[in-house]
Amino acid sequence: MKRMKAVSVMLTVIMISCGVLAGCSSGNSSDKDANNAPASGNAGSGASAASTVKLDIIETGNNLPSPDKDFIKKEIDKAIHSDLNLTVYASGDDYKNQLNVRLASGNLPDLFQVPDRASLKQFVEQGLLLDLTPYMDKLQPVKDFIGDESMKKTTMDGKAYAIPKAPNIPYNTYWIRKDWLDKLGLQPPATTDEFLNVVKAFAEQDPDGNGKKDTTGLTGSKLSTFAPIFGAFGVADPNTFYVKDGKLVNSLYDPAMKDALGFINKIIATGGVDPEIMANSGLQHQEKAIKGQAGIIWIDWPNLSKDQFTEQIKKVNPNADWMQLAPPKGPGGQYDGPFDAGGTSGMYAIPKALENNKEKLQKVFDLLNYVSGKDGSTLVQFGIQGTHYNLEGEKVVPTELMGKEAGFTWLYQFTGRPEMSYLQTKFAPQSKYIEFANSQPRIQILNGFLSNPDGYNPADAARFIEEEFVNFIYGKSPLDGYDAFLKKLESTMNFKTYMDASIKQLEELGYGK
Amino acid sequence: MVRSKNDRIANAVVFVILFGCGLVAVFPLLYVLSVSLTPFSEVLKNGGFILVPRSITFDAYRKLLMESNIPSAFGVTVLVTVIGTILNIVITALMAYPLSRKQLPGRNLFLMMVVFTLLFSGGIIPTYLVVKSLGLLDSIWAMILPNLVWSFNVLIMKSFYESLPEELFESARIDGAKEFRILLQIVAPLSVPVTLTVGLFYMVGHWNEFFQAIMYVTDRTLFPLQVVVREILIQTQSPLENVDNMTPSETLQMASVIMASLPIIIVYPFLQKHFTKGMLLGSVKG
Repeated sequence: MKRMKAVSVMLTVIMISCGVLAGCSSGNSSDKDANNAPASGNAGSGASAASTVKLDIIETGNNLPSPDKDFIKKEIDKAIHSDLNLTVYASGDDYKNQLNVRLASGNLPDLFQVPDRASLKQFVEQGLLLDLTPYMDKLQPVKDFIGDESMKKTTMDGKAYAIPKAPNIPYNTYWIRKDWLDKLGLQPPATTDEFLNVVKAFAEQDPDGNGKKDTTGLTGSKLSTFAPIFGAFGVADPNTFYVKDGKLVNSLYDPAMKDALGFINKIIATGGVDPEIMANSGLQHQEKAIKGQAGIIWIDWPNLSKDQFTEQIKKVNPNADWMQLAPPKGPGGQYDGPFDAGGTSGMYAIPKALENNKEKLQKVFDLLNYVSGKDGSTLVQFGIQGTHYNLEGEKVVPTELMGKEAGFTWLYQFTGRPEMSYLQTKFAPQSKYIEFANSQPRIQILNGFLSNPDGYNPADAARFIEEEFVNFIYGKSPLDGYDAFLKKLESTMNFKTYMDASIKQLEELGYGK
Repeated sequence: MVRSKNDRIANAVVFVILFGCGLVAVFPLLYVLSVSLTPFSEVLKNGGFILVPRSITFDAYRKLLMESNIPSAFGVTVLVTVIGTILNIVITALMAYPLSRKQLPGRNLFLMMVVFTLLFSGGIIPTYLVVKSLGLLDSIWAMILPNLVWSFNVLIMKSFYESLPEELFESARIDGAKEFRILLQIVAPLSVPVTLTVGLFYMVGHWNEFFQAIMYVTDRTLFPLQVVVREILIQTQSPLENVDNMTPSETLQMASVIMASLPIIIVYPFLQKHFTKGMLLGSVKG
């Protein structure tokens, strides 16, 4: 791992120096690439290359089957006369390495996932991405599919440089052990004070009845563990932008933030919170919940209610009964954490070099339009009709094979999917959880629209904010120091520049006016 | 040999310490093995920690063999390892042998060039460009040719060859042997230990092939074992993108680890005795 890190650091350095070079050379090499691609691929497909166009696509993901078993690839190839070569990378770091090397060396994929908004900005500045604005009329089906609003997420200086996936819906809520509540004779907490009491009771009153004090009341991953508590005070997670009383605010500057921190400090002081929340990474908090070590968890519904996990939960304890909990009411209202209006579960860009290869570019458009259209979208959502699903009227009814074979089709959802109907179909047993999570009130945050100004290092700032917040909620520094913390943030992290730039960008989009 | 009481105590202490060290080394392996053989529900019941499985199932292995890309990846890795290691040894020996002969003109210059690559490398992007323009992308050769010769191994072999007595070469030459015959019939049979050592280095390197595969190969059918195993091991954490994904259970993950490392663990003991010998000869007299 250490080596990987060093490699990525090195890469970044090299990238900076090679970016200019690549920008110049990619234009010349694109024709050569077009000739190279079939030659370096397998010879069989090269022979029939006259009518089909080979498309190289890279993204993060996993469980993609080999091409001979990949029925989605076959169907798409048939529909748009292409030869898709999709490569997925399991880890984000590996993907970034691969992407950077290919961008720098001019061996460009024809369509690729942009890791995040910061990378989008960087690639745009290096002139690597094709400005899609003039082609928007050719992408009408895509636009209809993802909605006009969505394009804002990938627009920079008025130009669209990538296609975001269709909007997603919130998944996260608090989940609570109903059987534990019953055992202790408690009601599901409706207010923040009741919440605090339940957390305390879960930790102290041995809800699992094994005679040992080995349970915690609340677990989660990092500060998001407390998202609905922040929400109860009317603030969103640290360093998020939202509109409050008609004005744009950053949660750090929201006066209610101090109250929220004070209350979280009180919850932690009960001793009922998993002491490892800041160290929980990946799905460690989920494991704790499954193993019956925690009574309340802030998590998305798939990771606690998918069949695979309910089965595990039942095996550990047949009586375990997890239910979703509405956000507790507090002085600032009742919000189940934030939801990013600018967030997207992925965006895809086309390299600028493809500009000169009209045929290939058109094929990429065909692909995007196809997976956004009715037939294509159904294909990449559910698989093949008659095999993986049957149609009853308009309703898609999954067959058993869908669960077995069609688990990877999301890799081809380059423009996303109609989230609600998709989930309701694929996860019929979880339907009510999906509905519940989606219908909770959330604070709409706007961070997804922001690009960081130069001189502001988001990673450093985030780390600093997190460290200071941990000190506040664990009572290591008194809340009187909050204003001093803000001052220090401004003076050492260039936070003022970031604030000004962010407010300006959001106002341009019409927020807070 | 005189054995006092103190000696025996010292011995006992040493044994206990070494036993402890051994235990520490075996422990994680045992854990991985046990979890891979235990049904996942059992694992969960025990809070995720199992050293001796109480009930055994081969489900995870069956699943990996039937449903994942592991079998084909296994094939790729074996192919790369076999072809790669043979080529590595041949080319490395062909380079090391001349460099070990003192009468080679410009020997120091060539040595310098070898050592230079130990300290400096071209960097990722230039290397990528070279691989690309040689047309190696998306072929198993991309995992073999870029690292065909490791300078370090050349130096080990060179030192070993230098340690062979000069008289051997002289007598061979008197009998009319030319350099190639000397290398094949005199040097090669004598240098089995170093060849095996270097071969083992190369072999482990190929077996663990990961980075070059990730960089140069985009064709899934050519992914080697480690890449596929890593894919199984990384639990995707963002459910937003892929609610559909089945998170592989810990049992499955551990089984994939065992499958990826078992072959090399089996090979190791057989080569070990040569291994130490070859290393020593290389280092002491280098």
